[in-house]
Amino acid sequence: MEKKNNELLRTENIIKDFGSLRAVDNLSLRLEEGEIRGLIGPNGSGKTTLVNLITGVYRPTSGGVYFSGRRIDRLPLDNITHEGIMRTFQVARMFADMSVLDNMLIPAFTQGTSKREARHRAQELLDFCLLGKLSNEPARNLSGGQTMLLQIVRGFMRQPLKLYLLDEPFAGVHPAIKDIIIETIQKMNREEGVTFLIVSHELTTIHRLCSQISVLHGGKVISEGTMKEVANDPRVIDSYLGG
Amino acid sequence: MKIINHTVISGSKGRSLSLAVLLIVCLLPFWTGEYYMQVFTIAFYYVILASSWNLLAGYAGQFSLAHHAFAAIGGYTSALLVANFGFPIWLGILAAPLSSALMGFILGMLCLRMRAIYLAIATWAFAESVRITISMTYEITRGDLGLAVPKLFMGKGQGVPYYYLFLGLAAATALMTIFIMRSKMGYYLRAIRNDEMVARVMGINTTRWKILAFILSSGTAGIAGAFYGHYNGLLTPVMVDFNEMAFIVIMVVIGGIRSIAGPVIGAILIQILTETFREFGEIRMVVFALAVIAIARLYNEGAMGVVRQVLQWITRRKQAREY
Repeated sequence: MEKKNNELLRTENIIKDFGSLRAVDNLSLRLEEGEIRGLIGPNGSGKTTLVNLITGVYRPTSGGVYFSGRRIDRLPLDNITHEGIMRTFQVARMFADMSVLDNMLIPAFTQGTSKREARHRAQELLDFCLLGKLSNEPARNLSGGQTMLLQIVRGFMRQPLKLYLLDEPFAGVHPAIKDIIIETIQKMNREEGVTFLIVSHELTTIHRLCSQISVLHGGKVISEGTMKEVANDPRVIDSYLGG
Repeated sequence: MKIINHTVISGSKGRSLSLAVLLIVCLLPFWTGEYYMQVFTIAFYYVILASSWNLLAGYAGQFSLAHHAFAAIGGYTSALLVANFGFPIWLGILAAPLSSALMGFILGMLCLRMRAIYLAIATWAFAESVRITISMTYEITRGDLGLAVPKLFMGKGQGVPYYYLFLGLAAATALMTIFIMRSKMGYYLRAIRNDEMVARVMGINTTRWKILAFILSSGTAGIAGAFYGHYNGLLTPVMVDFNEMAFIVIMVVIGGIRSIAGPVIGAILIQILTETFREFGEIRMVVFALAVIAIARLYNEGAMGVVRQVLQWITRRKQAREY
């Protein structure tokens, strides 16, 4: 398949069935390089399943995922990461027994970065998001918000990071940490050109961050556009209100 | 240098303590008789097994119950090549880690997607198969009667060279573990143990590193087994009894899993206790098993944790006095 313009990611009619349950239904989505896209939808609409399909955790029942014009949905999970795609999990998952710094080093090591270089970037990023002083702490000692923050910032250790999928990055996070997360996302988008797909229920934050929003319902994209556009779309109102 | 515990004790304190212990064990043959030298030689053999199992089960989280079988595969490979085919001993010993690493590779591939109890059961079944095969193939291995193995060192006073040989092998295994755990591989293994899915998301080829951990650990056990055969002069299927594996687990857990020095302390401690209380027979295993349960339930850092806490207490007291 040809890559169109500055398209970074495209899912083409992907379907994901779990037994008789269709979690993602003929879903097509297109992301352009450098954008910050919001992905919203009621619970069970298929948002996390879509993230899992893009990152190779699940294989689509049918349809394809294309990244920079190349089909990736048959690649092993770690190979997809090597394409420049990272993700976070809804419930932050860390290497709990390892220190904050060691958690940061792993994605850099897997792409062949030297220890010295990796440490330098890790400390820079940790300092930026105010985790610098905790770099030698075991990750298990961090609070919920700090863990989420570390999970997000760890992904930036991969260079170049082309696409970052954040699954509910603001859920249960203190407003001060939420601000740091938002600032970090904006900085990485601006300075390193990272494209984001952010899954969230926090519409205010999504509105603040994303120029384009896709709304999922029943495993399908039911609306796309600016926050104002999707908020006024009757299909979106129906899906949220269960009409 | 973090020799004592990979995460906590570091710097000159750990280095000094390790050097002091190394010095004592180096000078031990000058103070003790042949009997205790034998006890320590066997203890060093278990240090190799415990340290290499700790790499696989402790650091990489692959709870294999076939480690003793890899030692036996190495032991029998060398013994058969030397005794039945006339190979020189050094060539037999060289072939030992290759054969056990190859078996480790095959077992690692077969068990790749298994975790926890399923991995333990599969590896145990493999070890039992090895034991039964050795027992059954009487024409080749001499079964339960045992296979006579040419010794490495002959004559009187042979205990000393064996002592230093096994001490050197044990030290090399500990150093290899330190090297691996400080390398990128060490980071990957710890990441895989913590959360394999996230490790893959971070770009780690978990298959490759898990298999490599299996190969390294089984290859090391194979070397230990080969030297053990040429030391003991006789190999029997007893080497693959589950008791042997239980011993390795007990040594690592009591010494302190996921630490460099833990398996070293555990292996030496358990071997000395086993010999000291020999007259109590099998009841020793019951006591060790109870100790393992107590440690797992109450204090999972084992003896190494105690050493670390004592050292920290001394440091705190010293600092308090300085103020």
